[in-house]
Amino acid sequence: MLPELLQGVDTGGLLVIQDSASYSGRHLLQSFINAALNREEAVHVLGFEVSEEELKDGLRGSPVQRLHFHNAYTDPLGWTDHPAFTVHQFCLGELTRLVKQTSHSKPAILVIDSLSWILRHVSTPDVCRTLQQLRKGGAVRSIIGLLHADMHQRGTVGSVCHSATSVITVEPAMRGDEAVAKITKRSKSGKVIQDEEIFRIKDDLTVLVQSKSSKGAKKADSEEQETDPTANLTFNLRLSDTEREAKQKLALPFVFSKAKKTALLHSGPGSGRIHYEPDANDDYDQEDPDDDLDV
Amino acid sequence: MYTELNSILNTTPDSFTQGEFVLLSDRQSDASFLIHHFLSLYLRARCKVCFVGLVQSFNHYSAISQRLGVSLTQAKEKGQLVFLEGQKESLSVLIPQENDTGSQAMDFLRDPSVGLKSLYDVLLSLGVSAGAVLDFSHYCRAIVCSQLQGNVVMLVRCDGEGEEDEGDDEGSERLMKGLTHQCSLTLHVQGLPTGYCRDIHGQVEVCWRRRRGDGQYTQKKLFQYKVHDKGASFFAPGTSSAVL
Repeated sequence: MLPELLQGVDTGGLLVIQDSASYSGRHLLQSFINAALNREEAVHVLGFEVSEEELKDGLRGSPVQRLHFHNAYTDPLGWTDHPAFTVHQFCLGELTRLVKQTSHSKPAILVIDSLSWILRHVSTPDVCRTLQQLRKGGAVRSIIGLLHADMHQRGTVGSVCHSATSVITVEPAMRGDEAVAKITKRSKSGKVIQDEEIFRIKDDLTVLVQSKSSKGAKKADSEEQETDPTANLTFNLRLSDTEREAKQKLALPFVFSKAKKTALLHSGPGSGRIHYEPDANDDYDQEDPDDDLDV
Repeated sequence: MYTELNSILNTTPDSFTQGEFVLLSDRQSDASFLIHHFLSLYLRARCKVCFVGLVQSFNHYSAISQRLGVSLTQAKEKGQLVFLEGQKESLSVLIPQENDTGSQAMDFLRDPSVGLKSLYDVLLSLGVSAGAVLDFSHYCRAIVCSQLQGNVVMLVRCDGEGEEDEGDDEGSERLMKGLTHQCSLTLHVQGLPTGYCRDIHGQVEVCWRRRRGDGQYTQKKLFQYKVHDKGASFFAPGTSSAVL
């Protein structure tokens, strides 16, 4: 599914790449940018987390003429007198104006690096609303955003991913240069497709899907038959039929059956009897104190 | 500076990557011995160093650096080292308040220097939010690393087990994760999982996050270390001289 998504996100779509501190999703983001540039699409990058040099350094070999970098890295909070783009400008009007500055015939793809930066300063509902408005606005064809899932509460991550049409969660794989991508894609008809793939990004930023992840196979294994615990022992734990019968017949010592109760409560002939002569100080009650016992 | 660590990181006083943001972190251990490595490395490389110390005094670092063969007092007198002692000076210079006193902090950072900053997470316990610290470190990186091609080294302490509860948005874990995303090299110090050992003081996980040119995947390596009087030695797990 990863190669399909790389070929193009649907018009009006929002793709969220979720990563964590253990594996950065920026490399995959660069692959998406590279793929879009190779398709001769205009790409606008809203860069909060990396500088233009660093981004373009990773995109060596790509046709970067159609790449427009909007610098939100140098001064995203407006601490200087002339900030290029601040996080508070993240709204439909400003972004539409930004994208329309460069005249292209086709609507461009907007790449946001990263959504986490914006979410730290703008409330989640506002961010989700702006993303929705952008999708429907027509100024951009589709949006790709990078989200650091371990920097936010689950609710925040959930809200943003819920408004996305596709979510790719990347994690490190066993081998150092590979990674696992868990993909969820929502089509317009409402159908949800999920997949898991192991991939590797080559030097030219193309993505090579190595194999489907083996996690699917592992789930089947856990439902295997339960092993017989009495097998392969040096002593015998099994019962033969006669032994099983004898076991069931056995009366356990402290389990009361009716016969046992009467034998205990009403002592038979020949057993001892107790004669009790009350003293002057004794509070002798004729009533049997055990009368209400239901043994 | 510790020669073994230099070979692990592929650095020498004459050649080290510029524009790097190094994150030092520790969990139930003490990574401050790594601060001394970087301090002496940059001073020996004749770079200008700005040190923000919030936990220990200047004399503490001076005494330890003396044992490593570097004189902080001399460097300070020559103007190579600028030491901001957090305990004495006002922290408001560093922390952006409601309005734009952030610009004061930025003026201070605009010194043309290869900056070494030691910023303990004492800021968090003083009531500064993790968000503000992340903003500050972002600006450090934007100005020092990207604009001035300097290096930033930051030390963060994690307490507790690991996963933060959902309700707590501000905390050392979120700060750690946020800084990890921003940095290009992390060194994480932890005690040995098997417990205390006299000859091995702990383990260091070195993680290269952004590598330009030759492949961009994250590379991790694990080493064990022992701190002694004149430095620290690093070795692959299981190869401590006490064991071999």
